[in-house]
Amino acid sequence: MASAPNIERLYDDHAPALFAFLLNLLRNEADTQDVMQELFIKLARRPALLKDVRDERGFLLRLGHNLAIDLIRRRGTRDRNYDQLAREPMALFAKSPDPDEQTFREKLAEALGELPADQRAVVHLKLWEKLTFEAIAETLEIPLNTAASRYRYGLDKLRGRLRPIYDEIQ
Amino acid sequence: MNSEFENYLQRQPMREIPPHWRARIMAAAQPPPAQWREWLWPCPQAWAALGAAWVVIFVLHFTTPDEPRLAGNFQPLTPQSFAILQEQTMMMAQLLGPNDGDEQPAALPAAPKPRSEMARRQLIG
Repeated sequence: MASAPNIERLYDDHAPALFAFLLNLLRNEADTQDVMQELFIKLARRPALLKDVRDERGFLLRLGHNLAIDLIRRRGTRDRNYDQLAREPMALFAKSPDPDEQTFREKLAEALGELPADQRAVVHLKLWEKLTFEAIAETLEIPLNTAASRYRYGLDKLRGRLRPIYDEIQ
Repeated sequence: MNSEFENYLQRQPMREIPPHWRARIMAAAQPPPAQWREWLWPCPQAWAALGAAWVVIFVLHFTTPDEPRLAGNFQPLTPQSFAILQEQTMMMAQLLGPNDGDEQPAALPAAPKPRSEMARRQLIG
């Protein structure tokens, strides 16, 4: 029997990254909390999941991604339209004291919401988790080329959408 | 290599996780109340040994033939003991006396016939 993982340590080390990734993916705070809770319950009840795991962060991001996709599939056809929900404005970034920067962050959150969820996941992992394409491919269980192309398409869309405001700020 | 635009995006800090989530999620992730596994867990070897002992007992019980035990219990009625039994029954009938008149003492089964003269002499003598 595998030893019980230190759930509190795992939370402190990885919850901020999981929160940002899941919030960006699900675009809903309550759903993000549900998925994070489900994830840590799963880890507490099935310690063997973490046995032989070398990259904890990557493993937890993959687990969180799978749970989020399950939730989207479960609810998508029932009571929510996730594409619609993703476009609604939400606080994804920290508030900035600089009004220009704050505006840019709000527009960036909106632009991310317009991306398909699979592109959004890749863009998030590349930009804010600073993962390599190889690590992204492993985390999302997709081919390496798919990860690279999703990032390229996603980034092009963000650039096109944010170019005017970005040029103003710079 | 990242472009300036990508670097700028990377510098935008994500919102922090609400601090109160920690307590809620940790509470939910607590292990479930004691189950039979946990009850058994303090000394699983002892429980396993006890279980194995019971298995051995059952196996021995069902594989040992029953004949010797039954044969040991069975003792045929000898002519001597039959005669004693008959005598006691008659004595009991005399002591009790005639009942309502209708009731007769139960008829005894016929005594086994001796198989030889020697056995007859033993029975009489």
